[in-house]
Amino acid sequence: MRFISKFLLPAVFATALVSLISCKKDDEVLPTIASIAVTNADFSTLEDAAVQGGVAVVLSNPNPGDPSGDYTVFAPNNAAFARLGLNSGADLAVLQDAFLTSTLLYHVSNGNLAGSSITNAGTSSSALGPVRRFITRGSDQYINGSRILATDVSASNGTVHVIDKVLLATGVDIVQSALALQSAQVFIAPELSFLVEAVLYAELAGALTASPGSPSFTVFAPTDAAFKQLGVDLGVSLIVPSDIRQLPKEVVTAVLLNHVVADGGKFTSEMNGGMVAPLGGTALTMGAFTNGTLTVQGKSNTMPANMVIPDVLTTNGVVHVIDRVLLP
Amino acid sequence: MQSNRLLSALALFCLPVLALAQSPVSGFMNGKGHGAVALSYTAEQYDNVFLVPNEAQGVPVFNEVNLNSVSLYASYGISNRLDVVLGLPYIQAKGNANETVLQELGFENERSGIQDVSIFLKYNPYSLDGAIGKLDFILAAGLKTPLGNYKADEGLQSIIAIGNRATSANGLAIAQFRTPSGFFAATQIGYSLRNGEVPNALVGEIKAGYGNRYFYVDAWYAGQVSDGGVNILGEGFEGFFPATDVTFTRAGLSVFVPVAGGFGVSAGVNKYLTGRNIGEATGFSAALVYSF
Repeated sequence: MRFISKFLLPAVFATALVSLISCKKDDEVLPTIASIAVTNADFSTLEDAAVQGGVAVVLSNPNPGDPSGDYTVFAPNNAAFARLGLNSGADLAVLQDAFLTSTLLYHVSNGNLAGSSITNAGTSSSALGPVRRFITRGSDQYINGSRILATDVSASNGTVHVIDKVLLATGVDIVQSALALQSAQVFIAPELSFLVEAVLYAELAGALTASPGSPSFTVFAPTDAAFKQLGVDLGVSLIVPSDIRQLPKEVVTAVLLNHVVADGGKFTSEMNGGMVAPLGGTALTMGAFTNGTLTVQGKSNTMPANMVIPDVLTTNGVVHVIDRVLLP
Repeated sequence: MQSNRLLSALALFCLPVLALAQSPVSGFMNGKGHGAVALSYTAEQYDNVFLVPNEAQGVPVFNEVNLNSVSLYASYGISNRLDVVLGLPYIQAKGNANETVLQELGFENERSGIQDVSIFLKYNPYSLDGAIGKLDFILAAGLKTPLGNYKADEGLQSIIAIGNRATSANGLAIAQFRTPSGFFAATQIGYSLRNGEVPNALVGEIKAGYGNRYFYVDAWYAGQVSDGGVNILGEGFEGFFPATDVTFTRAGLSVFVPVAGGFGVSAGVNKYLTGRNIGEATGFSAALVYSF
């Protein structure tokens, strides 16, 4: 029996040790914000974006910029990214890294913003700089045009609220925002090139540039594909942006003014179906507010336009990128 | 097979699979002038990672990781009470990240190379013989240090690093009881002192099995508790994986069959059961052992 007793002591000790391992510190801690993104399957695109945008390590640690050490993050779920055609980490390659990083920072603020403190017409400044607006619509709460799906997911370094659309803010005015797209600072390929050319040709850049006391607008910004399709529909050659200049300047001006509404700049969450009056004077028809978006149709359009990138905040309004040119 | 040959084989083949994890020494001694050499192959795979406090489904960036290693081990009985054990693994770690994602991040799907060489001395200061069996107490001390020039500091690329580049000094105490009929039970605990930012760790293992001249089989349960360290994506994490708190429990089964002329073959399976900051890997191993 002396064997058994001599053996049992270390055996019991080792067993206890190994068992202790499995429960070590498991009673502790909330996950960090980064850990929530990585361990939640519905945030896999956000995880990829955080890695590519270089904020995964930042959101693993306490916020050095706030006495609480906390961040608040409005976290777009996978469906939110999918609305923009971003279904996986590989799809994020269409975006410039700097734009991706600044977009992520627009979702972040210092300190804890509790769900209960989100009230209609409230605002919150972001780590990027531009503020976010809170909007109550029916029983739903929105931040800009993004619906808040869940609030107050607690993290060790802050609070997470889940949203259904990616928040977008350029930090510059409408004209500079369009130029950023046209010069491939947002997507790695140029976009809104025809629109920029048209605005310059129609000499509307001044009106859409922010200056002290200048008005804010809602702008429907047709994609390059929308202009090319317009060329096909009208039987005119719109192959490259400079082709815009083959059209009469007054026609281009009238069409552009049909895309601008002087209403202070509205997010989709603030829009309703019905008629709105653009600067051009011929009413646009908004479709019903459905799943966070609306269609918009010009008087001479046979089909309504869809918002492919809704709710882009600029310093003098809100831009909704659409897939069709709105004809007066 | 002579009993010393069998013991030498047993002294060796109960091998660390990936030398990162398991105890490199068993409770069997070679006997003076006897020894063994083994060439082992291991394969491990995981797509989930034990993070704190929750598990990640899918390895960040790499989606899944496959580890393959080929290792050379040798042990030799300097005296009946003193063995020397050497180990040298070559490891290949492969991720399954999307090529576009790799290009964006400047990462690669593979890291490979010679990992850490280890040398251990095993000393059996005390044994008790009796009618019901024999009880051996063994002390072991060893050093492990990177031999290859693999990297562990490449940020998230190092999710698939093949090691942590620590040099460690390790001490182990082993107690093993075996009966004349071939049953045995062994237990060991140890401590590993690591340099740099790699946390020290407490290690433990319990093992039970049966062996005769025709075959040997065992089951084991082992673990490591890091003494400090940060959690991946937790407070203090700066993207440097060697500084993480790698803690786990693991279990496995091994079999060994002597074939002829001193040669034998072994095979094993193992799985991580619980853990922190480590892949939830399942693996198997096979080895060719020559003992003399």
